[in-house]
Amino acid sequence: MMKELNCLGMRCPLPIIAVGREIKNIFAGESIHLLSDDPATEIDLRAWARMTGNQIEVKGPNEFLVTKSKVD
Amino acid sequence: MVHITGNFLAESPLSPKAREALADAIDQGWSDPRKLAHSAAKARILQEGALASLAQNLGVRTEEIEILGEPALGHFYSIGGLLRPEETLVYSSVDRKEVFAIARGHQSSAEVGVDSSGQIKGQDVQKFARSQGVLALQAANGETGVIQDIEALIAQSGDLRIAADFSSAGTRVPLPSRWDSAFFDARSWQGPQGIGILAIRNGASWRNPLPHLGNTRTPQSVSLPLTIAAAVALEEWRASDQVESVRLRALSKELRDEVSASIENCDIAGKLEDSLPHITSFSFLYVQGEELLRRLELSGFAVDSGSACTAEDLQPSHVLAAMGVLTHGNIRVTLHHGCTSAEVQSLVIAIKVAVADLRA
Repeated sequence: MMKELNCLGMRCPLPIIAVGREIKNIFAGESIHLLSDDPATEIDLRAWARMTGNQIEVKGPNEFLVTKSKVD
Repeated sequence: MVHITGNFLAESPLSPKAREALADAIDQGWSDPRKLAHSAAKARILQEGALASLAQNLGVRTEEIEILGEPALGHFYSIGGLLRPEETLVYSSVDRKEVFAIARGHQSSAEVGVDSSGQIKGQDVQKFARSQGVLALQAANGETGVIQDIEALIAQSGDLRIAADFSSAGTRVPLPSRWDSAFFDARSWQGPQGIGILAIRNGASWRNPLPHLGNTRTPQSVSLPLTIAAAVALEEWRASDQVESVRLRALSKELRDEVSASIENCDIAGKLEDSLPHITSFSFLYVQGEELLRRLELSGFAVDSGSACTAEDLQPSHVLAAMGVLTHGNIRVTLHHGCTSAEVQSLVIAIKVAVADLRA
């Protein structure tokens, strides 16, 4: 079952901090379904993916799929 | 009260020589240079000397420059004077907010993107080469320090007139071979706040974009003492900047290398070799920019930030966003003339401690 992470209403950088915390609790290949309406989330999530080697996909307005690519 | 030992903000205090010139000018240049009185004649001589000095040091003709008491308006004068209502304004995604505001108020405008190192995409500029209009062209970015290849971009711009923005680059980037207007801010050479210098190239198709009476190009209401202080600061700056630029670039390299080697998940905007020697923008993953500023302030270091949590409108920096750089946990470090290696080393330690604390 996919992990849901509801960060609606949270301001930057809290959604990214939450993703960074939750990604440790899933295995490589698994994903997190993230909800976030902070204007910086998409930009910072892309930068986060580049810096940490994980993957993200924009699923819709305020909706993202974060996939763990590597083993800790 | 926290004692600030290291000023790494964009602003800096006036040098003793510029302060002295300012004080003298308040005594000698208080009159309106446009009047007939003896005191006005004295002010006129001081004004002419300041304008000649500024023009010479900026590489333009004296008759080409206008002094503005509100630098933020300089972008409007520079661009708006060249742009006709039916024409297109071309600007970049890393331009200043003032330029975005002008674009929003104009009926035809086009934003061109930048790559991940902050360089404007020349092929996007080239698409407008046959258009009638103005290219707003930033010589260097004030947030990241990234310098544009302005000669190459101008070569690709075809018929567009060039409104060059030197407000951050100052004299550290030479004027291009073709320009129509160029705008400078005295703060870029550690001069006083509140002095903008607009150069309008002789023969340029420029007209005053604001309602006006008479034939003056700008309001002429600027403070003469501040203008003189700006001219003195620029002379002083030019006398030492060739050596200081090399030294500050080496310090910036030290700063970038040490921070990125000792703090993981740190994003640096732009490459130093393509940037002004004195500006570095760091973004630290999982760190709140406002808290980081506070921690550094408590350690005695003042820096700027482009993070959303430090912005008035709570929006992330459009410059960092356009480059795809992390926008949170951002600090901008500006090295001024005279900054020492010991100060930079102390700042590096303070950043390391603050980031580690905030991530714990």
